[in-house]
Amino acid sequence: MNALWAEIAAQIQTEVSADSYDRWFRDIEPVELDEKTLTLRVPNNIYQLWIESNYQTQLRSVVMMALSSAREIKYVFPDETAPARPGKVRALVPKTKPEPVETKMPVAGTNGFNPRNDFDAFVIGPNNQFAHAACKAVSEMPARTYNPLFIYGGVGLGKTHLMHAIGHAIVAKRKQIKVVYITSEAFTNEFIDAIQNNTLIKFRKRYRQADVLLIDDIQFLADKGRTQEEFFHTFNTLFDGHKQIVLSSDRPPSEIANLETRLVSRFEWGLTAELQAPDTETRVAILRKKAQSVDIKVDDAILQFLAERIRTNVRRLEGALMRVASYVSLNNGRAPGLEKIEHLLRDILSEEARRAITIDQIQRRVAEHFDVRLADMTSKRRPANIAFPRQIAMYLARELTKTSLNEIGEAFGGRDHGTVLHAHRLVKDRMIKDERTRQIVGFLDSQLTR
Amino acid sequence: MKFSVSKEKLLAGLQTVQNVVSTRTTLPILSNVLLQAEGDQLRLTTTDLDVGVSGAITAQIEKPGATTLPARRLANIVRELPAAEIIVEVDSKNVASIRCGQSFFKILGLPEEEFPPLPKQTDARTFTIGQQILRDALKKTSYAISTDETRYVLNGILFSFKENKLTLVATDGRRLAMVDIEVEFPRSQEVDIIVPTKAVTELGRLLGDEGDVRLSVEENQVAFQIGDTLLASKLIEGNYPNYRQVIPAEAKERVTLERELFLNAVHRVALLSSEKSNSVKLVFTKNNIEIAANTPDVGEARESLAVAYKGREFSIAFNPEFLQAPLRVLTNDEVYLDMIDEMSPGVIKIQSPFLYVLMPMRIS
Repeated sequence: MNALWAEIAAQIQTEVSADSYDRWFRDIEPVELDEKTLTLRVPNNIYQLWIESNYQTQLRSVVMMALSSAREIKYVFPDETAPARPGKVRALVPKTKPEPVETKMPVAGTNGFNPRNDFDAFVIGPNNQFAHAACKAVSEMPARTYNPLFIYGGVGLGKTHLMHAIGHAIVAKRKQIKVVYITSEAFTNEFIDAIQNNTLIKFRKRYRQADVLLIDDIQFLADKGRTQEEFFHTFNTLFDGHKQIVLSSDRPPSEIANLETRLVSRFEWGLTAELQAPDTETRVAILRKKAQSVDIKVDDAILQFLAERIRTNVRRLEGALMRVASYVSLNNGRAPGLEKIEHLLRDILSEEARRAITIDQIQRRVAEHFDVRLADMTSKRRPANIAFPRQIAMYLARELTKTSLNEIGEAFGGRDHGTVLHAHRLVKDRMIKDERTRQIVGFLDSQLTR
Repeated sequence: MKFSVSKEKLLAGLQTVQNVVSTRTTLPILSNVLLQAEGDQLRLTTTDLDVGVSGAITAQIEKPGATTLPARRLANIVRELPAAEIIVEVDSKNVASIRCGQSFFKILGLPEEEFPPLPKQTDARTFTIGQQILRDALKKTSYAISTDETRYVLNGILFSFKENKLTLVATDGRRLAMVDIEVEFPRSQEVDIIVPTKAVTELGRLLGDEGDVRLSVEENQVAFQIGDTLLASKLIEGNYPNYRQVIPAEAKERVTLERELFLNAVHRVALLSSEKSNSVKLVFTKNNIEIAANTPDVGEARESLAVAYKGREFSIAFNPEFLQAPLRVLTNDEVYLDMIDEMSPGVIKIQSPFLYVLMPMRIS
C-alpha cells in the first residue's frame, strides 16, 4: 500500500505547488485501503481540514486514477489509530512482508524506493532475462561488473522496477552504502535550484559522493545543455572513483536526440541491456504474481484473456487486472464474463489494438494508397514518386508501432536508422507546411488504426 | 415586585440581552427574560443554555422581587411606548401589569425559579483586556469563522493565551485570520479556549470604546465582564487545529496595496464573477495589477491598478468575497499582500500583528 501511496503522492506532487505538497502531503501515511475507503494517517486535524477544504478534488481524482475506482477518503490522527481496528479490511500488501527500505527512506521522497519493486516481484521472461541478470549482477557487486549499466525499453516494461530493485538489494546488504536514486528530470530541477540558490557545492557533494547513482529516464536530459555538462562531470567523477552508475531510458543511447556525443559514448561504455515487451506466457505470469501480491482471485481464463489482449505495457496490464478485480469486489465476488470484461476495458483494448499494427500492414496500405508496388517499399530505387510514399510509411511505422528505428530500417530493405529518422523528420516538416501531406498522413493513420 | 423606570433605560437594557433569546426554542422559559429588582437596580438576564447575558439598569424599586417575562414581546411593547416613565407591577402568579401614560398591558410570565441560572464564576483564570482592543481583534477575525456545522471546533474563535499574548484565530479551511494582542498574565494561566460564534457576535455588540473587559476562563465556560454586563458562554470542546501549519514560511513576492482603492476595484470586478466561477484573477506585472473576472455566457470585467511592484510577473486567483472580507474591516490605509506562487496561499498583513491567509483558486 505504501507503494500505491507513493504513486498517488507522486501524482499529487504534479497537481499542487511544491510548498503545498511539503506542507500537507509529505507527512501523510496510508493506513488502510478497502473497496470503499482509503484511510490516511495525518499528523493532526489541521491536515484533514486543509486538505478537505482545498485539495479534496485533486486528491480524489488522483486516487481514482490510481485505483481505477473512487474511494472515500478518511483521515486519522496518531492518537486515534493506536488501537488497530481488526476486521475484514485487508491491506493491499501482506503485513508480514519485510520492507527494509521503507523506514529509512521517505515513501515519496526523491530517493525513496518503492518497496514493491524488488527483485522478487520482478517476473522474468525471455524478454527481460538479460537485463534482469545484469541488474542482479550489479546489485551483488556494485561497480565491479558492468559500469555503467544502461537499461532501456518501452513504457511500463520494468525499467524503474529494476532500478528500485538494485537500490533495495544494495541497501539491504550494506546499510552504510550511499545509494542515490533520482529521475533525470529531478536531477535537472535540483541543478537549476542549485544554480539559483548558489548551492552548487552542496549539489555536487550529494551526487559526486554517492556510492551508487541510479538515474531514471535519462532521455529527459536531451536538450538540456548545462545539465548534461554537469552530469558529464558527475559521471566522470563517479566512474573514475569506481562507483556504480545505472541509467535507464526509453531508447538506446544513440537514439536519444540532442544528447552530446561524449555522453552517448560514455553510456555505451559499459553494458547496454534492452527490456522488450513480454510474451504471452510472461504476461500471464506477471498477472498471476500481481493477483497474488494484492490477494485477489481471478480466473485463469480471464488472466489469459488479459494477457492476450494487452501486449505492450505491463503497467497497463496490471491496471486492467485491478479494474477487473474492483469490478469483482463491487459485484460481491461474481466474476464477469469475457464480454463484460471487454466492455470494462474497452478504452485500454482499443488503445492496444492501435498498437498491434505491423510494419507490413503499413507498407501494404501506403503502397495501395499511392498506387506503387509493395516491392518498392523495400527496393533501393528512389525516384520521388516512390521515395515519398516510402518515407510516409516509415513515418507511420515510427508513430504507430513500438519498433525501434533499426528494425524499421531493416523492414524497409535494410536501411539504417538514420534514414528512418530523416524520413520521420521530413514527413513531420512537410505535414506542418503542406496541407495535402497532412491530409494523406491523417487519412492513412485513421485507416490503419480503425 | 414593583418598579418604575424610564422607557429609554428599559429599552436599552432589553436590547442588550434580547439577542441571546432564540426564536425557536423547545423550552418556553428560554424565550423569557429574567427580571430581578433589588436595591436601585433592575437586572435583566437571558440565556439559551449555551450563551447567557445579564445586564443591569438603575430603576426605582418599590417592591423587590423577581420574575420572567417573554423577552421579545416585552421589548416590542416597550419600544412602542411613549417616552415616559414605565411602571411595572408583577403579582404572585407572575402576571405583569405595565402602565405608561394612558397605555396598559398585561402579560403572563413564568416563575423565576424555572429560569436556568447563569453559571457561577469561581476562582478561574482571569485576564484583563481593553474593550476596544478586543472588539477590534474580534472584528478582524470573526468573518473567517466556519459556518460548517460538521466542523464544530471551527464554529468559533480560538483564544490562545500564551507567553503574554492572546492570539485570536478563526478559519474555515480555505482562509485563516489571526490577531495577536499583548496581555499580561502569569505563565500558570496559559490556556487555549474556543469561544462559539454566538458568543463572539454578542461580545462584539457589547464591547465599547472605553474601559476594560475581564475574562474568566473555567473548565468548559468563559465569562466576559463588561461594566455591569456579564456575558457567559460555554466553550466549544475539542482541539483547535494547529493553525501555525497553515501560515506560509516566507513570501517570494510582496505588493503594497492601497486598501480602499484595491477593495473598491475588486468589488467592482467581482460583479462579473458568478457562483460557478467564483474567482477574481490578479495579474501582476511591473508596477501594475490587473484585476479580472469572467463568467462564460455572461461577460467579463477588468480593472488595472498602479502599484509598486517589482517582482516576477504572474497571476493568481482568489475568491472575491474572501479577498474583500479582511479589507473591509481593516482600517489601515495600506495593506501588504504576500505571495509565493499561483498555487500557494496569499497572505494579507498590516503593520500591526494581524495576518490573513487565503488559499488561491485554481486558474483554469
